[in-house]
Amino acid sequence: MLLLEYHNLLIQTLLTERFNSTTPTSIDQIISDFDGVTFHVSTPESKTKILVSISVKCFSDLVKYGANDVLRREYGPYVVEPEVGYDFSIVLDLENLPATQEEKDELIRKVALLRRNAMAAPFERAIDTHHSLSTEAAKFTAESAPETSNSEVMAIHYREEEAMYIQASHDRVTVVFSTVFREETDRIFGKVFLSEFVDARRRAIQNAPQVLYRNDPPLEIRNVPGVKTDESGDLGYITFVLFPRHLTRQRREESISHIQTFRDYFHYHIKAAKAYMHSRMRRRVADFLKVLNRAQPEQEEKEKKTVTGRTFTRAT
Amino acid sequence: MAYQTPAVVMDNGTGYSKLGFAGNDSPSFVFPTAIATKGPAGGAGGSGSGRPAVAQKPSYLTGGAGPAGHLSAKRGTEDLDYFIGDEAIAMGSGPGYGIHYPIRHGQIDNWDHMERFWQNSIFKYLRVEPEDHYFLLTEPPLNPPEARENTAEIMFESFNCAGLYIAVQAVLALAASWTSSKVQDRSLTGTVIDSGDGVTHVIPVAEGYVVGSSIKSIPIAGRDITYFVQSLLRDRNEPDSSLKTAESIKEEFCYVCPDIVKEFTRFDKDPERFQKYVVDQGAGKKVTVDVGYERFLAPEIFFNPEIYSSDFLTPLPVVVDNVIQSAPIDVRRGLYKNIVLSGGSTLYKDFGRRLQRDIRHLVDARIKRSEQKSGAKSGGLEVHVITHKRQRHGPWFGGSLLGQTPEFRSYCHTKAEYDEIGPSIVRRFALLGGPA
Ligand SMILES: Nc1ncnc2c1ncn2[C@@H]1O[C@H](COP(=O)(O)OP(=O)(O)OP(=O)(O)O)[C@@H](O)[C@H]1O
Ligand SMILES: [Mg+2]
Repeated sequence: MLLLEYHNLLIQTLLTERFNSTTPTSIDQIISDFDGVTFHVSTPESKTKILVSISVKCFSDLVKYGANDVLRREYGPYVVEPEVGYDFSIVLDLENLPATQEEKDELIRKVALLRRNAMAAPFERAIDTHHSLSTEAAKFTAESAPETSNSEVMAIHYREEEAMYIQASHDRVTVVFSTVFREETDRIFGKVFLSEFVDARRRAIQNAPQVLYRNDPPLEIRNVPGVKTDESGDLGYITFVLFPRHLTRQRREESISHIQTFRDYFHYHIKAAKAYMHSRMRRRVADFLKVLNRAQPEQEEKEKKTVTGRTFTRAT
Repeated sequence: MAYQTPAVVMDNGTGYSKLGFAGNDSPSFVFPTAIATKGPAGGAGGSGSGRPAVAQKPSYLTGGAGPAGHLSAKRGTEDLDYFIGDEAIAMGSGPGYGIHYPIRHGQIDNWDHMERFWQNSIFKYLRVEPEDHYFLLTEPPLNPPEARENTAEIMFESFNCAGLYIAVQAVLALAASWTSSKVQDRSLTGTVIDSGDGVTHVIPVAEGYVVGSSIKSIPIAGRDITYFVQSLLRDRNEPDSSLKTAESIKEEFCYVCPDIVKEFTRFDKDPERFQKYVVDQGAGKKVTVDVGYERFLAPEIFFNPEIYSSDFLTPLPVVVDNVIQSAPIDVRRGLYKNIVLSGGSTLYKDFGRRLQRDIRHLVDARIKRSEQKSGAKSGGLEVHVITHKRQRHGPWFGGSLLGQTPEFRSYCHTKAEYDEIGPSIVRRFALLGGPA
C-alpha cells in the first residue's frame, strides 16, 4: 500500500452491508479517523435510519472558510441537526434510498468521504481565489501588475500541535504544513523522505508540486499569529507549491484529496520505513546467530591419563 | 484532557484478527490473520527458518544469496507491496503472491510479517495515527516475556503508539462474560475455555491472575473440526469438499447432541434432519452438498476425541475437571461456579449445556465417592457453564469493555516510560478491571 485511501473503509463497509441487507439491525459504533476525526454511526430512532455524525478537531477553523457550504452542497438532502457532541450529521433512511445500485454506491462513497469533504473547504476557497486573482492579473500588462496579489493566509489547526496554512495568489496556491517530530529517528527518516520528494521532482516528475522543507516558518506565514519559531529542532515546515496545472477544473478534486492526506501519508511512510529497517535488522541478527552457531570451538585432542599413569586416546 | 481518542483494541488470533475501538460492542474488522507478500509462500521469515542450511558466507557478505538476499538489493517500494486479511487470501490464491500466517498456535511466529500486518491494520483499516491512541493488545496464556517485549518494541519504536496494555485473552474473556445476565458479581475468578482456530485452552483464573501451572491445552480446535467435516464429505464423495465448504457447513449446521447413539436413530427416523448446502463454485456453477451425521459428529470430537484422533483421548469435560482439581483448593469452588466460554469454536448449539452436564456428573460422582468413604454429608458444588452473547469475540469484547473505562490509561505503559526503561517494562502490567 503506497498511498492512503481518502475514504473511511469502515464506513464504506458498514454502509454497503446495511444497504444491501434486508434485515435491519441496530448499529452503534464510534469510529476514529486520522487527525482527531471521530465518527459516530448509530441508529437512535429506528433500525432503518442511520445517523452518521462527524466531529473534527479543527471544525471551527473549517467553518470560517466555508465548510458548512461545502458540506451542504455535498450532502444537501441528508443533512440534519448535528448530534450532540458532534459537528455535522446526516441521516440515511434505508427505506428511502436511491433506486439504482450505482446511485447507492455513489451515496456510500460520498458518505465515506465525509472527512475529506469537511476538510476540503479551505482548499476549495483558495483555488477559487487563485482563479479570480489570476483573471484579475491577466487584465494588467506585465509592467503595471500590482506588486502583491496574495490573499490572506488560512490557518487550520488540525492537530494539537500541528497546523496547515493555505495561501492563494494569482499564479499559485501555497500550502504549508507545520509538523512536529517526537522522535529523533522519525526526524531523520522524515528528512530523508522529504529530500526524496525534492529529488523526484528534479529527476523525473517535473509536473510534481514544488516541495520545500525548513525548520523556521517560511516567509508566507511568518506574520500569522500563533506561528512558532522553533528552538529545539522538533518543528519543521513543509511547503507545497501548487501551480495552475494542479488547479484546473479536472485536477482540483484530486489535488485537494492528495494534499489533505499528506501528513498522514508522511507519517505512515516514516513508520513503514522503520518497520522495514527492523526487518533487516532481524535478518542480520539471524545471520550473525547462524555464524555463531557454526563457529564450533575446535576440539583439541588431549592426552588423557588414568590414575595409574597409563595414557590412552579416546575413540571417536 | 478534554477530548480523548478511543483506545484501539486488537485481538490477533491464530485464525482471525479482531480489530476495533474500545467502547464499541463489536470489532470493526474481523479478518484472517494472513499476509500475502510477493514471492512464493513459505517460511522465509525472520527466524530464518526454511533457509538452506549451508551457505558459504552469510548473506550480508555475498550481497544476497538465499531468500534473504532480495532484501539488500532493492531500493523500491517492494516492502509495501503486500496485502492482509481477506485481500491476502484473495491475492494469495492468484500468481505472484504467497500467503503467510504470522501467528501459530496463538503465538506470534514471524515478527516481520506481524509488524507489517499491524502496520496495514492501523493505517489502512483502522485509520489511526498510533501516536494519538492507546493500544490494548491480547496475548495467549503463558506467552513468553520475550514475545511481549518484541511486541512492545514494534508498538513503541515503529509506531510510536501513545500507550500500550497487553492483556491475557482469558482474563478479557472473563470480563466479557459480565454482560451475561447469569453473571451476578463482576469477579475475575473463573475457568475460561477458549477455543479458537488453532488450539483450545482451559485456563483457570483466580482474581485476575492466571494459574499458570494448571493450564491445559487441547490440540483440538476449529481447524480440526473443519478437517473432520471435510473428511466425512470426502468419504461420501460429495461434489464439493473444499475446506471452505467444510468450514461453512460446520458453522451453519453443526450442534452438540446429548447422546450420539440416540441422535443416530433420531436421524434415521426423521429425514428432515438431513440438510442440503448449496455451494456457489463461481462462474455460475452451483452444486448441492448433502449434510448428514457430521452435524452432531463433528463437535462431538470435543467430548469423544477418539473418533478423530488417536493420540489425544481425554474428553474436554474431563480436562476441565482435572484443571480445576489441580488448582489451589481455596479457589476451586469459584472455578467450578464460573466456567466461561470464549472463541469461535464454542458456538455450537448446546455446547455449554452438554459441558455443564458432563462436568457435573464428574463432580457429583467424586463427591459421592468421598461421602461413602468418610460417611459425612457434603454440601455439594455448583457447576455453571456460562454461555453469553459476546462469546464469539470474547477477548476482543472484554478488551473493549476495559479499554473504555476512565482508568484504563493509567494502567498502560506510555511511550515516555518505554523510552526511559526499555522493553522490559512490559513484563509487568497492573491488573486491569480487578478489585480497586
Ligand atoms: N458459528 C460457529 N460455529 C462453529 N465454529 C465457528 C463458528 N464461527 C466461527 N467458528 C470457528 O471458530 C474459529 C475461529 O475462532 P476465533 O476467531 O476465536 O479463533 P482465533 O482467535 O483466531 O484463534 P486462537 O484463539 O486459537 O488463536 C474458526 O475455526 C471458525 O471456523
Ligand atoms: Mg482467540
